Amino acid sequence: MEYQKYIEGRKAVITCKNVCKEFDIRDRKQAGSFRVIDDLSLSIYENEFVVLFGPGECGKTSAINILSGLDRPTAGSVFQGDTQITRPGIERGVVYQSIALFPWLTVMGNVEFGPKARGIDRTQSRKRAQELINLVGLQGFENAFPISLSGGMRQRVGIARAYANDPEVLFMDEPFGALDAQTRYMMEEEILRIYEHEKRTVVFVTNNIEEAVFLADRIILLKSCPTSVKQEYIIDLERPRSYTAPRFLEIRQKITRDMDKAL
Amino acid sequence: MGNKTVNLIGKNSMRIVLTLLPIIGFLILWQLAAMFTSIGNLMPGPIQVIESLFISFAKPLGPHTIQMHALYSLKRVMVGYGSAVVTGIIFGVSLGLSKMFRALFRPLFELIRPIPTVAWIPISILWFGVDEMSKYFIVFYGAFANVALSVYMGIQRVDPVLVGAAKMLGCSERQLTFKVVLPSCIPYIFSGMQVALSAGIMSVVVAEMINSYEGIGWNIHAGQQTANMTQVLTGMVALAIFGLLMAAILRQVERRMCAWNTRNT
Ligand SMILES: Nc1ncnc2c1ncn2[C@@H]1O[C@H](COP(=O)(O)OP(=O)(O)OP(=O)(O)O)[C@@H](O)[C@H]1O
Ligand SMILES: [Mg+2]
Repeated sequence: MEYQKYIEGRKAVITCKNVCKEFDIRDRKQAGSFRVIDDLSLSIYENEFVVLFGPGECGKTSAINILSGLDRPTAGSVFQGDTQITRPGIERGVVYQSIALFPWLTVMGNVEFGPKARGIDRTQSRKRAQELINLVGLQGFENAFPISLSGGMRQRVGIARAYANDPEVLFMDEPFGALDAQTRYMMEEEILRIYEHEKRTVVFVTNNIEEAVFLADRIILLKSCPTSVKQEYIIDLERPRSYTAPRFLEIRQKITRDMDKAL
Repeated sequence: MGNKTVNLIGKNSMRIVLTLLPIIGFLILWQLAAMFTSIGNLMPGPIQVIESLFISFAKPLGPHTIQMHALYSLKRVMVGYGSAVVTGIIFGVSLGLSKMFRALFRPLFELIRPIPTVAWIPISILWFGVDEMSKYFIVFYGAFANVALSVYMGIQRVDPVLVGAAKMLGCSERQLTFKVVLPSCIPYIFSGMQVALSAGIMSVVVAEMINSYEGIGWNIHAGQQTANMTQVLTGMVALAIFGLLMAAILRQVERRMCAWNTRNT
């Protein structure tokens, strides 16, 4: 009921229909397949901040790879608007769990990578890249190489790089998973600030319940491997949210309980 | 701040002392052994060798002064090693990127590679005569496989997540090679080049000892022929300096090109 009201009048940006994913495993003795995603169906709506929340190793990265077009599903299909997603494309941006910056490029080089590869006009792409570098708070570090940056700063570059192509939707795969708790809290607030500034659809993956409730407009709870949707929650808390507000804790507790059942 | 500077100087001079101590100790022991034991009957001490090295800058050893010998060796290394680096990179990249190329040439490469450089000298003389070309070939052979293998390994170890990231950002297959695969191989290319440089210098000395009238390797060979140990040792010391300089230059180039790969630069 609540869900119906939530999606009313919203345009679906990503639609995922009955997706299954199996990996071939070639052992010494036997060949077989390993099912990671089992009948995953979900819709992502325009400009919402969706959190895919699931236990470790449940197949979150595999799901993101399929939604973004980097990997093909074994069965089922994914659409962006009306077009089927069959290959990587600049209409979708990805921020990685392992950050995955190009270490031989500077901060500016990384952020400009997409526009340059596409042959966008040099001065125009430089201006936009600078804008994004400023937005993520890295002005002054344009010529630094990733190796000289802290983990939090590196992921800021990762975020700016993903925005630089102006994709319609951004997939963020546990972007703060590798950061320490302190930096993580800070980055959670940062990502909301960036989200407010550059309104895009964001699909954010995490295995941290606190992070999920803090960020999400909507949480999609995933089962453990082979994964699919277990439950959805509309999080109608006002932003900025407080980790210790009674409603926050209540929602957090409810989802944790459901998750335990899911395991 | 002041304290830190003092500390740094202290640390640096400590390092210099630690570097020089064993070298000076070794030279003193050698000198003492040459002066006071029967080793002195067989070979000269370091003072005599270094003296001879300095004299040979002005007075020719055989046909040339030592710096001319070094230039001959340098030219052979540069030509043989240079062409090995260029072709080795191309060969290694082709091995790494093309299944077809790999299927065709990997077995042949693996078959030839185990044959030691020295074993090629008779054939190289047969093919290229006793002139420079045969020496270039020997140096080339000694260096090539190191570069090729290292580059090939670098290509196999390209991070698949980086390749995926580049594709998501709009990189075409063609751009991938130049924008992702090759740059991420650069550290491997340099480590291959370092190993290949040692191999190339080793090869030039071998080639010059067997088939040459000049070069540092010839010095060692000629010294042996005339039982002139001072000349042998002079050649060896010259080689040590030669190799050290070449490796240092290459390391500087690497530091420039791979600033992104090391902290504090
Ligand atoms: N290419 C592959 N081939 C075989 N198995 C794979 C492959 N990729 C992932 N898997 C397996 O699928 C399962 C899910 O992996 P995936 O990385 O999608 O999970 P995840 O939820 O992202 O995990 P994490 O919480 O560690 O990020 C794991 O057991 C993993 O070993
Ligand atoms: Mg993952």
